[in-house]
Amino acid sequence: MSGAAVEVVLADAEAARDFGRALAGVLRAGDLVLLTGPLGAGKTTLTQGLGEGLGVRGQVASPTFIIARVHPPLGDGPPLVHVDAYRLESLDDLEALDLDASLEESVTVVEWGEGLAEVLAEDRLEITIERPQGEVADPEAADLGPRHVTVRAVGERWAGVELPH
Amino acid sequence: MTSAPLVLGIETSCDETGVALVRAHPDRSELVGEAVASSVDEHARFGGIIPEIASRAHLEAMGPTLRRALEDAGASLEDVDAIAVTAGPGLVGPLTVGASAAKALAVALDVPLYGVNHVIGPAAVGELVHGLFPVRLMALVVSGGHTTLLRVEDVVTGVTELGSTLDDAAGEAFDKVGRLLGLPYPGGPHVDRLAREGDPRAIRFPRGLTAAKDQERHAYDFSFSGLKTAVARWVEAREDAGEEVPLADVAASFADAVADVLVAKTIAACEREGIDTLVVGGGFSANSQLRELAAERCAAAGVTLRIPPLRFCTDNGAMIAALGAAAVRRGVAPSPLELPVDSSMPLELVTL
Repeated sequence: MSGAAVEVVLADAEAARDFGRALAGVLRAGDLVLLTGPLGAGKTTLTQGLGEGLGVRGQVASPTFIIARVHPPLGDGPPLVHVDAYRLESLDDLEALDLDASLEESVTVVEWGEGLAEVLAEDRLEITIERPQGEVADPEAADLGPRHVTVRAVGERWAGVELPH
Repeated sequence: MTSAPLVLGIETSCDETGVALVRAHPDRSELVGEAVASSVDEHARFGGIIPEIASRAHLEAMGPTLRRALEDAGASLEDVDAIAVTAGPGLVGPLTVGASAAKALAVALDVPLYGVNHVIGPAAVGELVHGLFPVRLMALVVSGGHTTLLRVEDVVTGVTELGSTLDDAAGEAFDKVGRLLGLPYPGGPHVDRLAREGDPRAIRFPRGLTAAKDQERHAYDFSFSGLKTAVARWVEAREDAGEEVPLADVAASFADAVADVLVAKTIAACEREGIDTLVVGGGFSANSQLRELAAERCAAAGVTLRIPPLRFCTDNGAMIAALGAAAVRRGVAPSPLELPVDSSMPLELVTL
């Protein structure tokens, strides 16, 4: 069922936000995006751009503590549901999160959802972000360095859709 | 015989069911009774909070916790003059349980209902401990979900969000580093304890958004993502080299970086805004490195520090009742009974 895969290299956090903004351009209500990558990969950064692109309310920040945050639309687009499955053992059904927005009406982004969130939808974008590994000479530069991003489109929904690259 | 209004506060935004009664005297807010029930042990088994479990735990705890708080206050429901409840931000299910209970009580008792902001609560709780606030103060609210700097001209009608974390909350960074170091959930208190055994100068970790170039746009904002990544990469490098990770030194150096950034940026903000009183609140205000560093540097900067005792650092009903009492004292309009809960309630909206 796996469709096209797009690979991009994002030079910095601004590029990650730009990519998120561009990605928002192809997303619509009902879409599911899974973000995978180690601690500090830039999953939330990419989602910040995505939120800007969708035009939703609020500062998109890590939802790890709150598990899921609903950002209502400022215009007439879909809301953004930003989920962090980092602390969850299972995610059989998004209903368990008691969200005040449904999967069908929202763009849903799940961080740390690999192996958990696939059951939510047959159609989805699976985004993997790899960051540079190991110690950095200048600790201030720990978050710097290019991110290798792979976007894999899964399911009918994405047939013929051109992904940003 | 006192006639000052008695405010019942209900807090259910996360895993603590808190109920408290605060009397809104004209010149002070007095905590007269409180009770808290926690489902954190149930969540610890799962390595994290499960919203469904939290909702059910609130539902089961609401009645008993309410009764305990009333007993503690030596009051009955008929004595209650107003109800305050957390309307957001927080987990939708748990918030809904608290809001439903509050609405039912408001209707049954025919008293006004105030839906209040969870993040302003930890700032307002200071009024129970240190007396009513001066006209202008700075509030740093730090927890697992929030790291926010507020300028408070009036705790109900004049809260301005100066800045917030751009990525992870301070407590969240602690929980993630805790997991990285193999400590149990929630990692915060474990990292704190371990940090006290280590050398805070052992490893130089970054101080986010403290560079001169960041001051124009982000003087009041925080960022802990770079710090978290630096810790992850430092630990990765040791593990890849087959070396033992000096856990206590990593924890101490990390905790020092967090406390240093929080305190330095907050005091700089006080100086810039010409404010001489600082309130620190929220779950992370229990952090020992933060408490010590804040006390030390506030004293040096001539800033009066109000930091609540540890029992008010975790979520509780007292902070919500305190905020409700502040609303009652000012005569602000109550919330409608259709009061919605809002998981991402904006911080400048203190009451709904």
